Amino acid sequence: MLWKLLRQHVSIAQLVGFFVANLCGMVIVMLGIQFYKDVSPVFAEEDGLIKKDYIVVTKKVSTIGTLTGKSGTFSSYEVEDMKLQPFTVNVGLFQPARFKVSAGLSFGGMNMSTAMFLESVPDTFVDVKADDWTFVDGQKEIPIIIPRNYLNLYNFGFARSRNLPQLSEGMIGMVSLDIVLSGNGMREIKKGRIVGFSNRLNTILVPEAFMNIANAKYGDGGELRPSRLIIEVNNPADERIAQYFNENGYETEDNKLDSGRITWFLKLAVGVVMAVGLVISVLSFYILLLSIYLILQKNTDKLENLLLIGYSPSYVAKPYQILAVSMNFLVWGLSVVLLLLIREWYSDVLEDIIVGFDGGSIVLSCLAGMLLFFIVSVYNVIAIRRKINSII
Amino acid sequence: MERIELDGVIPKVFSDKEQTGSDVWNKKIIFEKGKSYLIEAASGTGKSSLCSFIYGYRKDYEGTLSFDGRDVRMFSGRDWTVIRQKNIGMMFQELRLFPELTSIENVMLKNNLTQFRDLDKIKTWFCSLGIEDKWSEPVGKMSFGQQQRVAFMRMLCQPADFLIMDEPVSHLDDENGGIMGRMLEQEMSERGVGVIVTSIGRRLEMNYNTKIKL
Repeated sequence: MLWKLLRQHVSIAQLVGFFVANLCGMVIVMLGIQFYKDVSPVFAEEDGLIKKDYIVVTKKVSTIGTLTGKSGTFSSYEVEDMKLQPFTVNVGLFQPARFKVSAGLSFGGMNMSTAMFLESVPDTFVDVKADDWTFVDGQKEIPIIIPRNYLNLYNFGFARSRNLPQLSEGMIGMVSLDIVLSGNGMREIKKGRIVGFSNRLNTILVPEAFMNIANAKYGDGGELRPSRLIIEVNNPADERIAQYFNENGYETEDNKLDSGRITWFLKLAVGVVMAVGLVISVLSFYILLLSIYLILQKNTDKLENLLLIGYSPSYVAKPYQILAVSMNFLVWGLSVVLLLLIREWYSDVLEDIIVGFDGGSIVLSCLAGMLLFFIVSVYNVIAIRRKINSII
Repeated sequence: MERIELDGVIPKVFSDKEQTGSDVWNKKIIFEKGKSYLIEAASGTGKSSLCSFIYGYRKDYEGTLSFDGRDVRMFSGRDWTVIRQKNIGMMFQELRLFPELTSIENVMLKNNLTQFRDLDKIKTWFCSLGIEDKWSEPVGKMSFGQQQRVAFMRMLCQPADFLIMDEPVSHLDDENGGIMGRMLEQEMSERGVGVIVTSIGRRLEMNYNTKIKL
């Protein structure tokens, strides 16, 4: 009987308007969270555990820099600053040889000799674990690591075009090079042997121990100014790396940072979408509240009479509160259904373009929707009660 | 609840008048349970104001109004809800019925809350007041006199210490007024309720203990 009285002036059109608006808002908020959760693992490392990676950094070479003689090297301050960055685990310096090096090779009756250059990095950054990657003073043979690209260049480019035999990594390891070191008026011939091939380091690498000794002996003795750094990072998809490099004008040799940029844009896009969703939600909650206020306003006389014949404000408020909360709950439920449907659709699309896509759980987005539902419902319940209390 | 006391009570709109010539305003007056009071007044002397002060939905008065010595200004909303469910029954001058509900629904809306009367009793009231044929008619389609009888029955569904009626018979004929008066006297003798009736001309006929000029 009470409901028969109070449902008067309940406008279906207003409630439908609220329902649709609220539904849009909530679906957008939940979808934003869900999409971010589904897609972000694709940009992070596959296994999800923290997997270390290495990034080689150089400074940008610009025309003006070249003309003005601006050095492309890193100062000690810049190195220290790099070490302080939150994404950095460790920083290693590339140490170039500051003496002349030439390498000769006797192979199948041919004698080849070429000027070359050597670099070293701290041993922990070397991705080839060779047993003979050691050097002690006086050792005749220098272990060398060359980029795997070089071997590929020879095998698949040079050797095929010249009808020369292709070389395996094992065969290369048996070849002995003649390394001539000269500087400071001294000259020394050593043997060089290639002990490994690196994917990570795009240079001809010798052990740091050898480089320290040789630089001291043949080098010009100047201060070490590395032009390249190698950085160990926890997560190369961390967008802060890309930002930091951009601010300082650093470059990397490969495009490991792209995923960082994509993640950043993804976060930005999802943030914008969620903000829009939240705004729509907030507006729709206002529509609901205004609708209820309007109903209460139209029913003021009835409500006042009910209160005066002894009905308690909480009893009179209850039908409206139940109406509001069940509307909110219905919106939440429908949002979950819509979320699942939309997710099904975009999962199909993503599965086609991303290998190994399996998405995240929907718990978080549903909980976020639930939270929204609770906040709004509690607010509605309180607002209705206050409005009714204010009648008499 | 045994006593309703007014001590120097006067509506704020009257407070600048020196002499009102009233037995109620700015005086000390006590309404006791089990007795009947007729408050006679000319129009505009604050009859409905008095009812609304006692029933707790207006507070624009000066002085002290208390129930059994408790100042009603201290009462919370919850206290008033309890009082309106248990202690005071009210028949408003403007009736405050729900025009879209039928007459029985209007009465039952109150009785569902108090669970005080059974349906048979209500049926006998409808018969004695001569509106048994209006049982399921929306109140909005009834005459004001008929509506007054519905409001009267609704008030009787209150397990009250006091019943307050603001011009209950203004649109009723003497015969029906007499029936209502007898029903009230019966309530007084059965339940010991106190009765306060206001009137500006037509008065509800019964043996009043006290007649007061407002």
